[in-house]
Amino acid sequence: MNMTKQLLGVSLLALTAFGSAAFAEDVTITIWSLDDETQPAYTYAQEFSAMDNGITIDYREIQFDDVVSESMRAFATGQAPDIIAVDNPEHALFAARGAFLDITDMIAASDAINAENYFPGPLNSVTWDGQYYGVPKATNTIALYYNVDMFTAHGLDPDSPPSTWDELVDAARALNDPDNNIYGIAFSAKASEEGTFQFLPWAQMAGGGYENINTAGAVRAMDIWRTLLDDKLASPDTLTRGQWDSTGTFNAGNAAMVISGPWELNRMVEEAQFDWRVALLPVPEEGAERASAMGDFNWAIFQSSDHPAEAFAALEYFASQDDRLFPEFGQLPARSDIALPPTGVAPKDAALIVFLEQLQYAQARGPHPDSPQISKAIQDAIQLSLTGQLSSQEALDQAQATIDAILN
Amino acid sequence: MRRIMMSVVDGKGFDLILVGAALIFLFLFSGLPLLYNILMSFQEVDMFSLGKFFRPFVGLDNYRALLSQPAFWPIMWNTIVFVTCSIGGQFLVGFSLALFFNLNFVGSTFIRGLFLVSWVMPGLVVGAIWNWILAGDFGVLNYFLENLGIIDEKIFWRSDINYSLWAVIITNIWLGTAFNMILLSVGLAGIPEDVYEAAELDGANAIQRLWTITLPMMRSTIGAVVSLGLIFTLQQFDLFAAITSGGPANSSNVAQYWAWELSFRQYDFAKGAAISTLMIFFVMFAAIVYVRSTKHEVRG
Amino acid sequence: MTSNRIQYTLLGIAVIFALVYLFPLYWMYVTALKSGTEIFAIPPTFVPNEPNWGVFGYVWEVRGMGKFLWNSLVIATGTMIITAGLGTGCAYVLARYRNVWIDVALFLILMLQVLPASLMITPLFVGFSQIGLLNTPRFAVILAVSAKAMPFFVILVRATFMAVPGELEEAALVDGNSRVGAFVSIVLPLAKNGVLVSAILIFMQAFGEFVYSKSIIQDVNLQPASVGLNAFMGPNTIEWNNIMAYATIYVTPILAAFVLLQQRIVAGLTSGALK
Repeated sequence: MNMTKQLLGVSLLALTAFGSAAFAEDVTITIWSLDDETQPAYTYAQEFSAMDNGITIDYREIQFDDVVSESMRAFATGQAPDIIAVDNPEHALFAARGAFLDITDMIAASDAINAENYFPGPLNSVTWDGQYYGVPKATNTIALYYNVDMFTAHGLDPDSPPSTWDELVDAARALNDPDNNIYGIAFSAKASEEGTFQFLPWAQMAGGGYENINTAGAVRAMDIWRTLLDDKLASPDTLTRGQWDSTGTFNAGNAAMVISGPWELNRMVEEAQFDWRVALLPVPEEGAERASAMGDFNWAIFQSSDHPAEAFAALEYFASQDDRLFPEFGQLPARSDIALPPTGVAPKDAALIVFLEQLQYAQARGPHPDSPQISKAIQDAIQLSLTGQLSSQEALDQAQATIDAILN
Repeated sequence: MRRIMMSVVDGKGFDLILVGAALIFLFLFSGLPLLYNILMSFQEVDMFSLGKFFRPFVGLDNYRALLSQPAFWPIMWNTIVFVTCSIGGQFLVGFSLALFFNLNFVGSTFIRGLFLVSWVMPGLVVGAIWNWILAGDFGVLNYFLENLGIIDEKIFWRSDINYSLWAVIITNIWLGTAFNMILLSVGLAGIPEDVYEAAELDGANAIQRLWTITLPMMRSTIGAVVSLGLIFTLQQFDLFAAITSGGPANSSNVAQYWAWELSFRQYDFAKGAAISTLMIFFVMFAAIVYVRSTKHEVRG
Repeated sequence: MTSNRIQYTLLGIAVIFALVYLFPLYWMYVTALKSGTEIFAIPPTFVPNEPNWGVFGYVWEVRGMGKFLWNSLVIATGTMIITAGLGTGCAYVLARYRNVWIDVALFLILMLQVLPASLMITPLFVGFSQIGLLNTPRFAVILAVSAKAMPFFVILVRATFMAVPGELEEAALVDGNSRVGAFVSIVLPLAKNGVLVSAILIFMQAFGEFVYSKSIIQDVNLQPASVGLNAFMGPNTIEWNNIMAYATIYVTPILAAFVLLQQRIVAGLTSGALK
């Protein structure tokens, strides 16, 4: 019902806005996004393009690693696309410098996009100076996956998974089984945005954060990561492996737990030959404040676009399809007004409930226009500490000094 | 006009055109980008000014900022280790193989040809394959080394700060061996048989012959191989991206990868350009080695 | 002359060397044929348990590899033509004389190669966008790759020309040939093998070019196989067997051509032409 109404709204808007041009040639807008043909952006773009609305979409699939560098280069030379999907911590980099279009007024006038419907974290990431410079595309967070069969085999109770950091280390120690090539836990401490993404929630739970990373709690978090690596409770390759590969070792039965996000659910349903569940990210101690990472991409329109109205109409269409995100593509909409129906796959549905709860604690990285540098300082601290070159305190102090220099 | 035509067909003009065409082409598509980078290293650059030439001039600020980074000297040192060991390894393996195949036994030409496959393989593919081979938990290299009794414990090639740079060096040696071997084979084939025969009559043994005949006569080939190798090695980027991403903790980071990281991960284009400008000194060294080696050439 | 026994011992050693050296290639082939879980098996399996031969056809279809390989072919051919066209004459002159200007030219040619493609791409992109070359992206890539390949080609071919006896050219000039005539009818034919072989090496390098193509060619229909492979390899990759199958299809034809031609290539490099 709701969807038809929204659809109608979009097409009406398209008709009224371009009625005069309807008989002329189609307007072509360019979209760059990392989704391939099995993912939402590509699919929606094709659908929207096929509609009889005078707008054709030229879609370019772009690799995760290349999004910012390619679009900066294109923007600097006047070749930028109309619409881009950008990772949320990098949104402010563009928004703060006016590269993205301020769409606050368009959103206010829109039926399909309603700012109040979005979760505060994702909405915060598209906001700069009180104005909206984009629309959240989807959202995600991280939690703890665990192998129920291994829990049972090692005498742990799968119904009460580790809920504090100490319990997590104990569980990893109990589950660790080097003779059978099984690590207690897998996660990613890679020197990339993924490392920051995984570490920051730990710091946040313990009173630290993006701008103050050397608090006592954050140092303790780092020490725990270090214990996991030093005692070989996690593979040394944790330092160079991304989340997807780390989770691959969990799925293959080479790690008993893994910290990762809902993007793994579909793969895990297919691959994992064991019983698995998801738990909230363990906290520093019983009753401590929860926190979690906030991931995924945002849509934005480049300020240089010749067809902002058409581009916004495309975003409206994409937003109107948000209720398909989870059932069809396994992604979580960044909105509170969309109920996620059960999929009928029991472990997936159970996991979803945990992720939705975890999502309430998700905090954006930033937003800050220098977030790549801040993130880099945190990555350096992680790597210097985990390789034993500096103590956790020294490494985080060094990161804090770098961050202070950036912020001031 | 006629004089110019004459010169083009039959004089210095002909030489000038042949060299000029290539040099102008190189200037346009290599020289200008290089100058742009040097210029950028003295400027303040952000995403808006990426397409411009005139930007706020900041003098040596970018260089100062780079030098004050704790990672600067370790990365420069890594660059030197990477370049020296890669070239040394490629040259030793390549030269040994070239000498070996120069024995001209049955099938030597055919098998020597097979070694060139590493030349044919795109860097992307080489990186992906070696990534598998070097993996810590299930990598096949650890499996071999353990079974041969060389190591007792798995080496985490990519994640151990003591080995990560070597992981890339090993791969790069593999990659560059073919090129070294073939060019050195060419040089070896150029040494006339009779020189050896004469030396043999004089009672020189194999090692003496290598030192007194082979190496001196191949000076120009060796110069070309080493200087080209130096340039290829300094440009090696795919392998770092595929295997270690310069990590962990910069333990395998080198100048060329760092420059890219600064430019395209932290979007600090000016500092990235400053590093690439510093790299000019490395390449200048290679160019001097090459030009000097041509002094020993004899024309046919 | 060495006896047969030594001959075959040497051959045996050579085969062992080759096996060790070619192992990564072998690993690419077997990984392509393995199943997803077998890839991660500890200890690794050296012969796939159930080789999945269908993977090649599948990947070819799904990834539309024909189009990608065609573009790679176009880029490699164009690069080879431009590099050889401009580089041969340059190498000839640089081999013919011996003076300080030649040294300067050689020095410059090498110096211009200081930056890796990953850093050259930004200025090139900016420049290409200003002169409108981005509208013919494959041609733009050909130009960029040729500039990258030129020094290597010039140095190789220069060595070839060094081996052409100077007296032959002088004799031709005395016989009344012009410089152009002597170059085309005497010097070039003598250096033909070396030029051809160097050109083939350039072709093979250009066939795998990646960094320039990735940024300059935005239209999927014009992208070469390396970019297609990269798009396939994204950070969230599980299809390692398919990726290796892609790499196999990508590399094998050129490898096969190479093995067929290699007798000529190696011979061209190591004998006749160069001495």
